[in-house]
Amino acid sequence: MDKRLKNRIRPWILTIILLVTGIVCIYPFLFMLSSSFKISGEVLQYPIKLIPDKIIFTNFTDLFGDPYYDFGRWYMNTAVMTVTTILLKVFIVTMTAYAFAKIKFQGRDVIFLVLLSALMIPGDIMLIPRYIIFRQLHMIDTMWSLVLPSAFDVYFVFMIRQALISIPDSLSEAAEIDGCNHFQIYYKIILPLAKPVIVTMVLFTFVWSWNDYMSPYLFITSIQKQMLSVGIKLFTEGQVTDPALQMSAATVVLLPVLVLFFFSQRYFVEGVANTGVKG
Amino acid sequence: MVKRKKTSGRQKRENRYGYLFILPYLAGFIIFQGTPFLLAVILGFTNVTYISKIKEASFVGLQNFVKFFHDEYALAALGRTGIYSLLYVPLIMVLGFIIAYLVNKGIRCKKVVRSMFFLPYVSNMVAVAVVFKLLLGPAGPVVNFLASVGMEHPPCLLYGLKTALPTVVVIAVWKGLGLNFITYLAALQNVDNSLLEAAQIDGAGKLQQIRNVILPMISPTTFFLLISSIITSLQNFTTIQALTSGGPGQETTVMSVNIIRTSFTNFQTGYASAQALIMFVMVFLFTVIQWRGQNKWVNY
Repeated sequence: MDKRLKNRIRPWILTIILLVTGIVCIYPFLFMLSSSFKISGEVLQYPIKLIPDKIIFTNFTDLFGDPYYDFGRWYMNTAVMTVTTILLKVFIVTMTAYAFAKIKFQGRDVIFLVLLSALMIPGDIMLIPRYIIFRQLHMIDTMWSLVLPSAFDVYFVFMIRQALISIPDSLSEAAEIDGCNHFQIYYKIILPLAKPVIVTMVLFTFVWSWNDYMSPYLFITSIQKQMLSVGIKLFTEGQVTDPALQMSAATVVLLPVLVLFFFSQRYFVEGVANTGVKG
Repeated sequence: MVKRKKTSGRQKRENRYGYLFILPYLAGFIIFQGTPFLLAVILGFTNVTYISKIKEASFVGLQNFVKFFHDEYALAALGRTGIYSLLYVPLIMVLGFIIAYLVNKGIRCKKVVRSMFFLPYVSNMVAVAVVFKLLLGPAGPVVNFLASVGMEHPPCLLYGLKTALPTVVVIAVWKGLGLNFITYLAALQNVDNSLLEAAQIDGAGKLQQIRNVILPMISPTTFFLLISSIITSLQNFTTIQALTSGGPGQETTVMSVNIIRTSFTNFQTGYASAQALIMFVMVFLFTVIQWRGQNKWVNY
């Protein structure tokens, strides 16, 4: 074959192979989405039709109208918890990162080293002790047991500090000469410049808080205060065996993150690529 | 203090602002990160049984650790964690690299492909597990498909004694792949093309190029991903709990599941903490070994 022709065809063959693999990869999502609009008898009909014969919405209305499983409430709980975590975390983490990057206070490097060594600790070993601490603080069965450990996260302090260090000092020095104090420099100059990395933190925090299963499983004890991750497990393993209803529940849990990802995948991907977000 | 110089007014101001800025964080860090870690270490040496009876507990030395090595049940869980990691880590490392390599070769629809492989990473494990349980279940499409291509008794992969653990690993790899893939992709984009061209002129084939040019160039990324993948493979409670809850039988009861059960179902908090500590020490030792061995294969 002509070499030039070969060079033009090859990327397309590779593209098709990867697209097919990619579709296999997202097939569970396609199956879920289409099943949630089907009548339950059609869900497992083989061969699977990704476009339902008849599109219905009753699965969703049934889901939120279920008398035993309060999906609407779990939804609110999870949303409030996630948003609270994000707000608190942005405030605390950026302020701390600013101090470590731009304020030359004594003892800074020692404290930072201690924080860095905490990065090495696998989070799961702290769950039992946290349970004990939350009991003492009367935070068991409140959303604070989920919000606070995430808001005082070590990883993003490190990540945002790295980003702030690359902002030239001359900017903040100029502002200082103009009479700005550190609060003003932080708020008016550094924060706006650090927007991309803050967006990355917000997105990942959203995903992690929204998806977290282990913490609500251990720390939230009453069903009215429960989060979606635990809720959907209770729901699908309880009396609900209707596959269409199960799929609509899964859709409802996944939807916010899928939508978020759809609109901001650039930030996710670049966030991982530039900083190596941990797993 | 002997060495203390007179701090200038400016330094004093910097100190004041510095501590003012980090004080909220520091307080939270001590309560929610520092203390839990110290407690994690201490609890392993105590006989705390029920969490509310913490005041009645006493130190028992190494008893919990001795017990662990005589506890067949816990050792079996450790063994399953070993199998899980030995399957998970190579699989996710190799697949992540291959997909990144192919995507980096210059394909069309790069963004679409990228999103497709990254999507599982941001999705909710429990919701995804509900879907997989239906897909792999007794009347699910996978069983039907296997039957239609002529298999006589198609297995329910998630529910079979032999197939459950490998199936869980495959789903975990599917879920985590996006992170390794994107990280590798970023590393590959930084590989200097002139090096590859030079290798090509010297007559190196594709595989030789990968082995002798690309892999050494991206070895720091491999190092980072290797360690983070190992840690992820040990912290697999959510994955297992969502998919199989440790079953069928005990076939997928790995160490993380066993630790939570020991602590929150059997109320042997001290013993569970000791096991968590053993897991931490394993991660730590492995990281140290990798760290010291890295100059053999990691090029910065």
